[in-house]
Amino acid sequence: MLFNIISISLGAILINNFIFSQFLGCCPFLGCSNKTDTAFGMGVAVIFVMGMASAICWLIDTYILVPLGLAFLETLAFILIIAALVQLVEMFLKKSVPSLYSALGIYLPLITTNCAVLGVVLLNVQNHYNFIESVVYGITGGIGFLLAIVLFASVRERVQFADYPECFEGFPICLVSAALVALAFMGFSGMQIF
Amino acid sequence: MNKVIKLTVVLFLICAIVSAVLGAVNEVTKGPIETQQREKTEKAYKAVLPYADSFTEIDPAAYVAYKSTINKISVADNGAGYVVETTFSGAQGSITMAVGIDSDMRCAGISIIKHSETSGLGEVAASSSERGVSFRKSFIGKDETITVHDIDAITGATITSKAVAGAVANVINAVKALG
Amino acid sequence: MNIKKQFKEGLITNNPVLVQQIGMCATMAITTSLFNGLGMGLSVLIILTCCNVVVSAIRKIIPEEIRLAIFVVVIAGFVTIVDLLLQAFIPALSSALGVFIPLIVVNCIIIGRAEAFCQKNTVGASFFDGIFQGLGYTCVLLIMSIVRELLGKGTFGGGLIDVTEGLRFTLDGSGAGIKIFSGEYGAKILTMPFGGFLTLGVLIAVMQYALKKSARKKELAAKAAKEEKEVEE
Repeated sequence: MLFNIISISLGAILINNFIFSQFLGCCPFLGCSNKTDTAFGMGVAVIFVMGMASAICWLIDTYILVPLGLAFLETLAFILIIAALVQLVEMFLKKSVPSLYSALGIYLPLITTNCAVLGVVLLNVQNHYNFIESVVYGITGGIGFLLAIVLFASVRERVQFADYPECFEGFPICLVSAALVALAFMGFSGMQIF
Repeated sequence: MNKVIKLTVVLFLICAIVSAVLGAVNEVTKGPIETQQREKTEKAYKAVLPYADSFTEIDPAAYVAYKSTINKISVADNGAGYVVETTFSGAQGSITMAVGIDSDMRCAGISIIKHSETSGLGEVAASSSERGVSFRKSFIGKDETITVHDIDAITGATITSKAVAGAVANVINAVKALG
Repeated sequence: MNIKKQFKEGLITNNPVLVQQIGMCATMAITTSLFNGLGMGLSVLIILTCCNVVVSAIRKIIPEEIRLAIFVVVIAGFVTIVDLLLQAFIPALSSALGVFIPLIVVNCIIIGRAEAFCQKNTVGASFFDGIFQGLGYTCVLLIMSIVRELLGKGTFGGGLIDVTEGLRFTLDGSGAGIKIFSGEYGAKILTMPFGGFLTLGVLIAVMQYALKKSARKKELAAKAAKEEKEVEE
């Protein structure tokens, strides 16, 4: 069990990083990585929502959808759960933890359309993870996202001062530097726990 | 307040319509999907254990010690051997593989069902290329002492090759333990 | 509505990936062979067209406050239908694209078009918008797939075309493609995640270069015309 959890976490954070090897969550990754602190805020919000979404979607899938033979409604149910969850988290934080809300508030609505969140719940179902494994996968997937986006944001801050061809202005140079960071992450691809 | 009720009703209605449509589509596609999956499994099983005719699944309680890596063991009804479905970690995540074991407890063939290995390197192990076929063929006739040195390992994908060899050894041990 | 203008917008001047820069996850993830690229592109094209038509048809009866929730439900519905149909009839494509088919739900292209276009336009215009934006997306996927597959594996049309027994199209994804050069000499790294980012980056850069150049040309032409006019006066 413990072995399984360690291997899932290591896989989700480094080896099969959500962004650099599975391409899940690229839109917010490229959109929110201008500054290191916004990147950090976004990353933390994603960890939070991914963990919660994994837990709730697993429960709903296992105890409601599958027993009723409604597995074909998974995608529809999951996206609605995620949207509702994001709203709830937003309202809850606003009322009870205003300091956290002011830090994460602006990122929360963006997360609904983050494909890493829907991706993680769908992968949980596809990989037949149990409850604990799902939650661990959700949270560590989020940590992988945080790691990727913070690292990339600091790379991007440097790239601003670099001298690159004019036509690479904006997105292209950003993608090219992301490619180089992805190359670095490929170094983890041989890692394995025996 | 009235407005809230109206919004809820509209949203609910739309969800109901969409679900009903999906239900109808599901009815149509359910049959073909099941047939596809059954055919796929059967084809994969026959590919790894050529002389088998049909299969019966063994009760998971019989191999409880190997539960973490072995998903399913099926025995060939004509005594040709066993087919084991196993999941293990490769270089880039888990690999699911069907392994045929003949009645002499030797590997009769392997087939990779699902993997996420690096394309171009580890992916070769599962591909239909010449190299992939010769990699998989090199497992035939091996017993549980198999290591990466006994097989036609793939250059540049040592970890994948090692993992597959280890999994085959594990499967043979599991089948032997069935008695 | 001028279909010609919509066509140009979808394919070039307002291309969803190259200019609007949305829907990039799948663009980079699955474009490793022509089979995947074409399959994904057509799936998005179909879903986008259907969603556009439905959204613009119901645009007057849905309440403003919950329009996004309704869009999402409609989109998720169509995505699931396509997902189920692919699983049933083209299982090879379904397993090759895996989780990226259900993830079309959160593809910003579809919800973006629903919000930006279909809400304000007629069913007919939305239908063509869906087709052209979908075509624009498919074209980008095709270019990415062809480049990555050719340079990475040395083949063309992997999964889709088989030439061992004469030219034929394989819908089960088994075709090895046309061999241009031996895969051993291919830049394998282009078929990996690195290649996805790099190829898209370079593609957008080329697009920006072309757009800028044509804009400059137009500017120069306008300037020349103006000067001519001044001279005449």
